[in-house]
Amino acid sequence: MGAAELAVGLKVREAGWLATFQDLGREHSEFMGVPCGGAADQHSAAVANILVGNRRTATCIEIMGGRFTFTPAAPILMALTGAPADVTVDGQAVSMWEPVCVPGGSRVMIANARGGMRNYLALSGSLVTGRFMGSAAPEARMGFPQQITAGQDLELGTRYRGFEHPYLSQPLFRLPVPVPAFSPGTWSIDIVEGPETEAAPGIRELLSSRAYTVTAKSNHVGLRLDGPVIHPEGLGEIVSHGVPIGAFEIPHGDELIILGRYRTLTAGYPIVAFATKASLPLLGQARPGQKMTFRWVSQDDAVERHREEQRQLQVLEDRVRNLFLAVDLPHAAASHAPEQTAA
Amino acid sequence: MSTQPGQPPRRLPDIEATPFGDSALMLKVATADAEERQSGSRRLREILLDVRPHGLTDVVAGVDSLLVEFDCLAVSHGQLAQTIRLAVAGSGLEHTEPGRAAELFVIPMVVSDTYSPDLPAVAEELGISQEAVLGLLEESELSINLLASAMAPMMGAVRFPGQVSRCKEPRTNVDSGSVMVAGTSAIIQPFPGPSGWKVIGRTPLTVCDIRENPATSYRPGDRVRFRIVPASEWEHLEGQFLRPEGHQDPMTAPDSRKDH
Repeated sequence: MGAAELAVGLKVREAGWLATFQDLGREHSEFMGVPCGGAADQHSAAVANILVGNRRTATCIEIMGGRFTFTPAAPILMALTGAPADVTVDGQAVSMWEPVCVPGGSRVMIANARGGMRNYLALSGSLVTGRFMGSAAPEARMGFPQQITAGQDLELGTRYRGFEHPYLSQPLFRLPVPVPAFSPGTWSIDIVEGPETEAAPGIRELLSSRAYTVTAKSNHVGLRLDGPVIHPEGLGEIVSHGVPIGAFEIPHGDELIILGRYRTLTAGYPIVAFATKASLPLLGQARPGQKMTFRWVSQDDAVERHREEQRQLQVLEDRVRNLFLAVDLPHAAASHAPEQTAA
Repeated sequence: MSTQPGQPPRRLPDIEATPFGDSALMLKVATADAEERQSGSRRLREILLDVRPHGLTDVVAGVDSLLVEFDCLAVSHGQLAQTIRLAVAGSGLEHTEPGRAAELFVIPMVVSDTYSPDLPAVAEELGISQEAVLGLLEESELSINLLASAMAPMMGAVRFPGQVSRCKEPRTNVDSGSVMVAGTSAIIQPFPGPSGWKVIGRTPLTVCDIRENPATSYRPGDRVRFRIVPASEWEHLEGQFLRPEGHQDPMTAPDSRKDH
C-alpha cells in the first residue's frame, strides 16, 4: 500500500430526505449523559465499511429515503448496504452489498429504497467531518446535526487509485456477505424478558401471539407501535433509572415503545421485554406501517445468535483483508490484529 | 457503615444485579434506606469507572441505581455481577472520597412570570409562599448526583418540606437554562426539549456547550448553589459558559486559552 492518501472531492447533487455523516456511535459517553447514538442498523453500517477495507468504526453516510446523488472528482471505491435500493453509476445498475469501483467524474445515484428505512454508503478511506466525543454520529439535540445537504462538497482522504479488472468493468469478488432478508411481510423480532414482565400477567402471551405495527410517531429515539398492551399493576411510581437500547416500555397510554440508540437515558416506565442485541439492526430499519411479531428466547440463545452474527462479520473482514492485500487495494487494517483481551 | 477500623468487610456487599436484556445489568444496593441506595449507586459508578471490569462498555446512572452495559460476547451477566461485587468488596461502598476535589458552582437564576411558570403550583403543593420556595432553593447546597440526558446536572437535595410532583402533562419544549424541580431534586435544562419537571426559574448561563472541551465544567459530586438575580442582569450574563467558583476568566488569563 505505497500510495499516499489523496484528497478527493465529492459533490453532493441530491441529498435524499435526510442524509447525515454516521458511524457506529460513541463509546464511554453514556456515563456523561450522552446517548451512544450511531447507525440504527449497526450491521449494515459495519458491513459497508468492511466491504471497502475500512475499519468498522469509520465514518460513513446514512441515507433515509428519496434520491441521493453525488459525483466524485477522482476514482473511489464504495459500498452501499441497508434497505434494498436502486444504485447506478452513470446510469448503469450496480450491486449493493459489494465493493463498487467508481470512476472519477461519474454520477452515482442511490434511490427507491424499499422494505427498510436506511442505507449506508461507505467509501474507501476517511471522510472529513467534525467529531463530538470521538464520533461523527449526529447528536442533533446538543447542536451536532451532521446533516449533508444538496450542493455540499465532501472531502474524502483515500489511497484508492482505481482498479482494473482484465475482463470485466466491475470485478467479481464473491465475498461471503451476510445480507439481511428485508422480507416483505411481517418481521419476527427476538425478545428476552424484562423486569416488569411478571407484573403484567398476560403480556407474555400477548407479545408472542399478536402482530404490532410501527406508527409514524417513531424516530431514532424509539419505535412506537400500535397493538394490544397490558399495563403492569401494583408497581407504584418507578424511580428514574437507566434504560438500555431495545427496552420495551409501556407508557401510560396504550402503546408500546422500543427504545432506539438516541433514547433518553433514564426513564421510569415499566419494561416488559428487551429486544435481543442481534435483532436491533432489523428494528433500526423498521418503517411506519411495518408489522412485527415477537418471539421469546432465552438469554443464552440471544447471546448465541449475536455471537454467530459477529463471527460472520469477522469471516467477511478476514476475507476482504486478504483479498485487498492480494490485489493491492488499500486496506485500513493491513496490520490488523484481533482485539486484545484484557489479561 | 460500622466496620471495625482496619478490618476488611467480612461479607460481599448486598448488590442486586438484574439482567436488563442480553447486554446490560441493573445494579442496586439492597437496602431499604433511600439515601443509602442513592449514595451507594454513586459510589458504584465511581468504582466501576475506576476499575473498568472486563467487558464493561458504559454505565448510566439512575436516581438510586446504575445500569451497566457490557459486551455479552466478552462476559456473562453472572460473571460481570461477580466481578462488580468483588470490586465493591475491595473498595468499600461507604468510602465516598471523590477522585478530585468537588468544585462549587454558583448559578445565577432569574425569576419571572415567563421563566417561572410552575412556581405558584410548587408553592401551593408545598404549602409555603413562593418567596419561601425560592429561599429554600437558595439556602440549599446541592450536590450533583448524575448527568441526565444531554448532560443535564441532576442535583439534590433541595430543603423543601415535601416532595414536588411532576407535571401531569409533560411540556413538549422547555427552554435551555430552565431551572426545574421534582421530588427534592433540581435539574437544569441544557438544551431545548421536552420535560415533565416543574419550571421555577431560568439561568442566563450556558451550562453545556459542545464546542467546549469538556462540554460541561461540572461533574457528579460537584456542589451547586443557586443565586437569584434581577432580570436586569440577564443581558450581561446571557450565554456565558458556566464555570466553577474561583475559575479565572479565560479572557483575562491568556495562558489558559485554548487554540480554538
